[in-house]
Amino acid sequence: MDEIQYIGEHLLPGQIGRLTIILSFVASFLATIAYYFAEQKKESAEASNWLKMGRFGYIVHGLSLFVTIGCIFYVMYFRMYEYQYAQLHVSDDLEMKYILSAFWEGQEGSFLLWMFWHVILGFILIRVAKNWEAPVMSVLSLVQFFIGSMVLGVYIFETKIGANPLMMLRDTMNIPLFAQADYVDLLNGNGLNPLLQNYWMTIHPPTLFLGFASTTIPFCYAIAGLWNGKHDEMLKVSFPWALFSGAILGTGILMGGAWAYEALTFGGYWAWDPVENASLVPWILIVAGIHTHLVARATGHSIRSTYLFYLMTFFFILYSTFLTRSGVLGETSVHAFTEMGLERQLLVFTAFFFIVPLAIFFVKQKSIPRIEKEEALASKEFWMFIGSLVLLFSACLITASTSLPVYNKIAELFQPGFDGYVIQDPVEHHNKYQLWIGVFIGLLTGAAQFFRFKEANWGAISKKYFIHLGITLMIAAILTFAAAQWINVYAWQYQILLFSGIFAVVTNLDYLITFIRGNLKVAGSVISHVGFGLMIVGILASGLNKEHISTDPFTQRGLLNEEMLKRNVILFEGKPALLNDYEITYQGNSMNANLRTYDINFKKLGEEGKVLEDFTVHPTAQFDNKLVKVAAYNPSTKHYLDKDIFTHIATLPKKEADREEAQKMEDSLNYRIIEVPLGSEMTFVDTLVLSDTTMINRFLLSIESVIPNATHPDYEPKEKDLAIGAKIKIQQLGKPENYEANPVAVLRNNLVYTYPIQINDLAFKVKLPTSFFDKVFATEMNLEYQNFELKEGDAINFNGYEVQLEQVARDPKHPNYQPEKDDIAVGAILKVTKNGESKSEFVQPIYLIRKMNPMMIKDKLAADGLNFQFTKIDPTTGKMSIGIAQSEANMTYPIELSTNSLRTDYIVFEAIIFPGINFFWAGSIMMMFGLAMSWIRRRFELKR
Amino acid sequence: MKKIHLIGMIMIGIAIYLIITAGGEVATYANFDDARGTEGKVKVVGHLVKDKEIVYDELKDPNYFTFYMVDDNKEERKVILNQGKPQDFELSEQIVLTGKMEGDEFLASEILLKCPSKYKDEEVYLKNEKG
Repeated sequence: MDEIQYIGEHLLPGQIGRLTIILSFVASFLATIAYYFAEQKKESAEASNWLKMGRFGYIVHGLSLFVTIGCIFYVMYFRMYEYQYAQLHVSDDLEMKYILSAFWEGQEGSFLLWMFWHVILGFILIRVAKNWEAPVMSVLSLVQFFIGSMVLGVYIFETKIGANPLMMLRDTMNIPLFAQADYVDLLNGNGLNPLLQNYWMTIHPPTLFLGFASTTIPFCYAIAGLWNGKHDEMLKVSFPWALFSGAILGTGILMGGAWAYEALTFGGYWAWDPVENASLVPWILIVAGIHTHLVARATGHSIRSTYLFYLMTFFFILYSTFLTRSGVLGETSVHAFTEMGLERQLLVFTAFFFIVPLAIFFVKQKSIPRIEKEEALASKEFWMFIGSLVLLFSACLITASTSLPVYNKIAELFQPGFDGYVIQDPVEHHNKYQLWIGVFIGLLTGAAQFFRFKEANWGAISKKYFIHLGITLMIAAILTFAAAQWINVYAWQYQILLFSGIFAVVTNLDYLITFIRGNLKVAGSVISHVGFGLMIVGILASGLNKEHISTDPFTQRGLLNEEMLKRNVILFEGKPALLNDYEITYQGNSMNANLRTYDINFKKLGEEGKVLEDFTVHPTAQFDNKLVKVAAYNPSTKHYLDKDIFTHIATLPKKEADREEAQKMEDSLNYRIIEVPLGSEMTFVDTLVLSDTTMINRFLLSIESVIPNATHPDYEPKEKDLAIGAKIKIQQLGKPENYEANPVAVLRNNLVYTYPIQINDLAFKVKLPTSFFDKVFATEMNLEYQNFELKEGDAINFNGYEVQLEQVARDPKHPNYQPEKDDIAVGAILKVTKNGESKSEFVQPIYLIRKMNPMMIKDKLAADGLNFQFTKIDPTTGKMSIGIAQSEANMTYPIELSTNSLRTDYIVFEAIIFPGINFFWAGSIMMMFGLAMSWIRRRFELKR
Repeated sequence: MKKIHLIGMIMIGIAIYLIITAGGEVATYANFDDARGTEGKVKVVGHLVKDKEIVYDELKDPNYFTFYMVDDNKEERKVILNQGKPQDFELSEQIVLTGKMEGDEFLASEILLKCPSKYKDEEVYLKNEKG
């Protein structure tokens, strides 16, 4: 292709951004080296120069990174689709509140987010780390160097290193569009995946990535400690960082669970998905590390383990990055990133930080002090260490199972065509093993809390210990018995787990009251451990007892196996369904932007149908960015203290869920034009052929009136529109129900728009054809009105009818007349009697002055073909001008009608009760809160 | 021997035991033929037969969904799922079913779809294309 001078491209932000990416990459390398020498030569005079250079390098690195991020936001904010990243992640109609989400939707953005947090944490370290700055920052800079390479986007020896987020779209693909010089004007963006358009996507990734980034700091300290050999001091200064990391990473993971529960329809907070596991494992490891760290600081035992735990934590962060971003998980995960061809680079990254730290550890481990004397059985350090081992064991089990796709990949290398192995039922698999981990941890956190570090006087306190243990065991047993009744725990394994959770709560509360006497300063661990126990109770309560409301109330519970459980019910609009003590009514829906919200009312019925409770849930259907198809159904949850009622839409009628499908179905409808009489009934015969039987249904059709200025739910009136509707009555012969349909046709700029009406119960669709319009106007045009001047009480004869002006009424009421403010309206009530008959009928044409303009609203006797209008009032004589015209009697109008139009007034709905789920949330939040408390306390301790 | 070593050895013992027992929980994807020979549930992988009927009439029964799937052995079976029809079902490139054979039909308790990523395709949205 020849060089084209493109029009409308904004090249500057890309140039700046690409430059700063490289600058920040190079600067991180400079910082690594300079900090390295600052540590290696710390005894010599040049150390302070190296340190300054390291600082300079890191600050340049950080500032360049900020500029890069700024450039990306700039091109995204101004929707410069000539940039690939903007084109992929934003669009014209994407609301700006989602710009952050759009930024970290892609791999490149999330790498930058991760680096961003490293920069912030690094800047804090430069300020506070003092003589640990050089070694710690050297390692951190090296980590940044590796992550930075992921967004580099350069080719070295034909190998792509990283993916640059500021690539021009035309450099990423070769399509004819780029032969046009002004292609930029034609572009629009893909926009953000609608599944990610919620506030969780705004808060979950930054928290999780801060969690990821925070695990790097204990790792850096661990390397630094091995490097300079100051193990005791390392343990002291790194402790707050480890606690901070535990709290933030845990919070980030929890937010993921909350997102799944609040916004996705699978009905749970945790699914043992590989991506979830991959972030859980590092958290378990850092918690284990925090425990050995505590032991190490109190007793000098377990220093090695602490080192290993921090090294492993960071390695597993990288391993999780590898799993989620390399595409290796394939179909085993529902939410891995899309592949980007960076697998090898990620593998090198992960392997480097596995091999090198371990090598350093084995070379340096001799310098780590160790206590030869074994921990006493009756000491805190012994049981805490056992607890950490149990956590490690848990992490190993989860990793072993999660890595199955990795083994498959490796096996495939040696044996092409190898059939991969999968876990049959991951949830059951993980639950089965982690259950026992939970039991051990629950019992240990309870029983170990009363021991003391370096116990020297066990004989003296053992009595007290066993008294407390005995009492708490008893209380826990009683509570377990009670709780097991409430949440129906029958399996003995679950009863044991329940007991261990409750035991953890009881013992830790006892410890808080009797041993530390409510001293909240040291209560962080108690709060975390009580939280753990409550979390176990919540997991059991909500997991074992989730119960479908939306199931067939007549099926006997327990008789059905899992395959046969009916989960969904169908709800028709406005028709209450009685399901398991609830009267559930789908009341209607409304559309806002790309979200259709459904109102579903629940009434809990007590004895004798008394309404105990009345609430409405609002599940939604979220459409894709082009509003064609439903992209996702979002749940709506009613929260109680002791349970949640979780509801969502399972399926919508095809016509509602998919516009293309709706068009197809509309096109397949077979409309027939029927001449329907005005004011009298006709019979309409519908034959329905069902294989060998033919069903004949008869219907009575009539047009009750033709409505000027008609309204329709989908019609938005504009000025100069002419909207005419027909009020059509339909009844199936032999059935009592009467149906009314008011289809509307609108003339706007010489085009006729038609607004159909669906009669769901009959599966009819009715609309007004263009010929309906013609008929209405032709009739009107051809009328020749004869004028009569009448006073109240006067009567005249017209074509065999006696017409008498009964009364002139102010503020008349008539179906054709909708009063507006400041109207001056007068109605002429006319009594019409056919000669020779005694029965009379009344009509009321109206004379109206609206905004200074005189108008007339006519009236008619359709069956007789009589039209009446009220043309003038003569105030001087008090005479009214009434025009009467005769059109053909028994007028008919054409309408279009299709049978077999599927109904659209229903939803398929699922509602589940989760009892006790708040125990889970409260417990897990307490765990994080306890960690955060300990972090703050240790930070202050360090300052003193 | 230290207590800690003892506990370590017990843990390793448990781990080995678990790995052996967990062997029963992993399997390669099965086909319909394997499913016939198995008592319990299996995971069968295959593709949707697009020209055979896909039945889901929520007005009749919102928890009844059937379709035909062909496994890797080219064996074609009717599949019954007592659930609603999953979203984007017709777009699936691959289907993973969990369940068992009942006579000639496969009764599934769980279904997993592998769909082409909707947001990865090599198309560029142009302004005038948007509705």
